[in-house]
Amino acid sequence: MKTLVIVPAYNEEESLKGTMDELLSMKKGFDVLVINDGSKDGTARICLENGYPLLDLPVNVGLTYGFQAGVKYAQREGYDAVLQFDADGQHMPEYISRMIQCTEETQADIVIGSRFVDDKKPFSARMIGSRVISAMIKATTGKTIADPTSGMRLFRSTVFQPFCQLGDFGPEPDSLAYLIRRGAKVSEVPVRMRDRAAGESYLNLSRSIGYMIRTCMSILFVQWFR
Amino acid sequence: MAVNALLRVFLLISAAAVLFFVIRKVKKSQFEAMDAFFWLIFIAMMLAFAVFPGLAYALSGLFGFASPSNFVFLCVIAILLMYVFSLNAKVTHLRGQVNRLIQEVALREKNEGGK
Repeated sequence: MKTLVIVPAYNEEESLKGTMDELLSMKKGFDVLVINDGSKDGTARICLENGYPLLDLPVNVGLTYGFQAGVKYAQREGYDAVLQFDADGQHMPEYISRMIQCTEETQADIVIGSRFVDDKKPFSARMIGSRVISAMIKATTGKTIADPTSGMRLFRSTVFQPFCQLGDFGPEPDSLAYLIRRGAKVSEVPVRMRDRAAGESYLNLSRSIGYMIRTCMSILFVQWFR
Repeated sequence: MAVNALLRVFLLISAAAVLFFVIRKVKKSQFEAMDAFFWLIFIAMMLAFAVFPGLAYALSGLFGFASPSNFVFLCVIAILLMYVFSLNAKVTHLRGQVNRLIQEVALREKNEGGK
């Protein structure tokens, strides 16, 4: 299966090299593409200096549209699957081949690298958000997704189309709900994740609230009319 | 509160001011015909209420408003809300177009760069 690992990067000059060197060192059975989302720091320069494959967006468009650009590239180049992979060092490349293997064996359209297949969710504020999203997906699709907010997901070419055609359709939980309702099959593979290597988490309090409002609004209302 | 002389003068002055700004925007080519059309309708409405206060009395009586001035204010607010709604839709549309363009620029540059 021809797989493209998409690494969206916005101002990730501190952690990008470590992430990419780790990815490329164990690279087998997949290609890698960094999406530089109009970074203001040296993200693009690091890619050019080290010869990382780069899709260089001239203006910052955000994760949704940045990831979409990667999916468009994958579709045009005839890839069978894309896998979203964080640039900040949280994701561990040794699980990539397991996720690809999973979709080959189960014919799943989406494979989620899940932190909670075996382990219980801790009771932090963030995990309460995750539970709420799980409950909403369960209520609207009937499917149980243990880790809907995991940022490590594989999408097979069977679900490329909405990413290429719909605006505001990103690698987020509400898109999972949409695709499941359209008949996509989802599998979860247990993975471990690290704390981020450098920089600050994107999700501060106000952004978290905004993220939850957007996700709830999208799953409970918008998705029904798309 | 009735539509008194002060409110009528205020409406007249506002209509003249809006007309002035619309003409200026058209002269600078910063307005398209449809943009100008909306504001001309808006001006016409303000003029109608200023010149014929009986209109506001009749309509507010018809719909059961306590005072004609309330009716005038509600008309202005309703029209502005509709305009904000359509602007919201336009901005979303433009954002989508801009994002697609940015993606396309990057994809073409990658294609021409020989991967």
